[in-house]
Amino acid sequence: MMARRLDPVALLAAPALLYLLIVYAAPILYLLARSLHTDAGWAFDAYTSFFADDFNWKVIGNTLRIALLVTLLCLAIGYPVALALARAKGWAQVILLAAIILPLSVGVVVKAFAWQIVLRRDGVVSQVLVGLGIWDEPQRLLFTEAGLVLGAANVFLPFMILPIYSVIRQIDPRLTEAGATLGASPWYRFTRVSLPLTLPGIVAGMAFVLSMSVSMFVIPSLLIGDRFQTLATLTGRSFLLMRNEQLGSTTAVVLLVLAVGIVVGSSLLARRLGRHT
Amino acid sequence: MTTRTNMAEHTAFLNVVGAFKAFGESAVLKGVDLAVGQGEFVSLLGPSGCGKTTLLRMVAGLLAADRGTVALAGKDITTLPPHRRDVGVVFQSYALFPHLTVAENVAFGLHARRADKAEIDRTVRRFLELVHISEMADRSVRALSGGQQQRVAVARALAVQPKLLLLDEPFSALDRKLRETMQIELRRLLRELGTTAIFVTHDQDEALTMSDRIAVMNQGVIEQFADPATLYRAPATRFALDFVGLSTRIAGRVSTVSGETLKIETPMGSVQASGAFRSGAQVLVAVRPERVRLARPGQSAEASPAESNRLSLKVRDLVFQGARMLVYFDSPDPMLPIIAEVSDGEAVRLAPEAGMTLDFSWSPDATLLYPAQS
Repeated sequence: MMARRLDPVALLAAPALLYLLIVYAAPILYLLARSLHTDAGWAFDAYTSFFADDFNWKVIGNTLRIALLVTLLCLAIGYPVALALARAKGWAQVILLAAIILPLSVGVVVKAFAWQIVLRRDGVVSQVLVGLGIWDEPQRLLFTEAGLVLGAANVFLPFMILPIYSVIRQIDPRLTEAGATLGASPWYRFTRVSLPLTLPGIVAGMAFVLSMSVSMFVIPSLLIGDRFQTLATLTGRSFLLMRNEQLGSTTAVVLLVLAVGIVVGSSLLARRLGRHT
Repeated sequence: MTTRTNMAEHTAFLNVVGAFKAFGESAVLKGVDLAVGQGEFVSLLGPSGCGKTTLLRMVAGLLAADRGTVALAGKDITTLPPHRRDVGVVFQSYALFPHLTVAENVAFGLHARRADKAEIDRTVRRFLELVHISEMADRSVRALSGGQQQRVAVARALAVQPKLLLLDEPFSALDRKLRETMQIELRRLLRELGTTAIFVTHDQDEALTMSDRIAVMNQGVIEQFADPATLYRAPATRFALDFVGLSTRIAGRVSTVSGETLKIETPMGSVQASGAFRSGAQVLVAVRPERVRLARPGQSAEASPAESNRLSLKVRDLVFQGARMLVYFDSPDPMLPIIAEVSDGEAVRLAPEAGMTLDFSWSPDATLLYPAQS
């Protein structure tokens, strides 16, 4: 009987839970209800017609593809940065850490506008690529998927670096030394020691960036525009432009299911990896 | 380079010459030479910060020397990265791979060297048996006790059969009893395998028990490199004397010199010793406590030969240690204690008490002599 009693410390989570219930759970339930309610009563009509439309499948595809590309780009850039950050000492580490965290204080809108300038036909990226001889003539990256991925990866990068960094910091540096003295080459040490031990950090970082990039709204609105729809921008359009609350609710619920799937899936994965590491 | 050092380079299995390393302004190693023979077990003994771990890491290739060379089995390995050196290391923290099982840890080096599967299985089994942890092969290393982790670390380092094994204070985290068992086991194992080993420790008992030779290190230099008995009986420097074992130390001045025999005046009386000091030199007279004989006044004649050094001293303190007893005497300098050790049997016969005056005698042969400031 004692074991079933609520731990009083758990009550500390009550205010947060109550807050989330009011500002988060209630509106979601309302959305769910809206998507299931038709003039004729309760039905799955909204979902059957949503999934019957090829356009919507394309939107889901867009959402997942962009989110995945952003996440992979963040991982490719972020992992080495996390390594460098963990290795850095003293002021170098403070400066690096500040450089990673400070941009979070610049609003997403500001950053997206900055990227608009960078990605223009006469922007920095285009000029550099032409200068290096990679491109024959200036091209516009703005309003392309590549531009969107670049811009979004920039915004979400800290959320990849920080979890990986915190895991690397806890790894005994003697482990790679031990690997070396056992005759393992640097690459072998990386793949058999460092990488497996940092996997929980990679999973956490990927979960952060994936769940944020499936649901991003401002960045695609400013960097790619209306031609290219994701679940989040379609939700926004449905409510704000088309005034179609049922469609908006439906897309919002589909997006939520995707995000919940990512979060739950990655925490299960992290737990499994955590058992091994 | 002279012919003699060339000879030494040819005969020594590991040869470190002029190892120098500074971190910022402070030199941690000040030109260390170390030659170790094949199959030898050598300890680097010294207080923390003496440079022993730095020297070890330099030999392993985990740290680059500012100056100096390292040669192993006749090959210069100074600039070789650690994974090409064939030098195994047992780390103080063990550094076991937490994501692998016991057997996978031991197999790591063999996999890295691309040994074939059957060979790996056989070697892993053999080394797990050698360190008596076969039954834990499939456990996670995190589920092991300190002593068991230690065994895995040793098996892992030995499984690749390195030319040289380095051990960095591997027993410091173990309790005393386990530590003593592990010391004996490790020594036996290395002897069986014929492995050359260098062992870093700050524990003199550990070094004396296990080593063929001991290098006493202090402030980045090797003060003495000798077998344990020589080190204990004839410490080459004042530091070696202080660091290894207890000793009575008395400051004095050489008064007369006749050949090798010196007469030295101390605040407690005059003593004899042999050494190369000039008349008038300030010296430190030392003697190991177990070389001292104690007797009630007037009974000395039968207790020790006539040519002995003999002082009459007042007992200050008694420390009972079971099989033996340490007797501390009043000393003019608190930094230089005067100690004698008696067996428990002798302690019963002598029945010393604080405040009692005893005859304190030892042979001139057992007298150690050092310059006063060194």
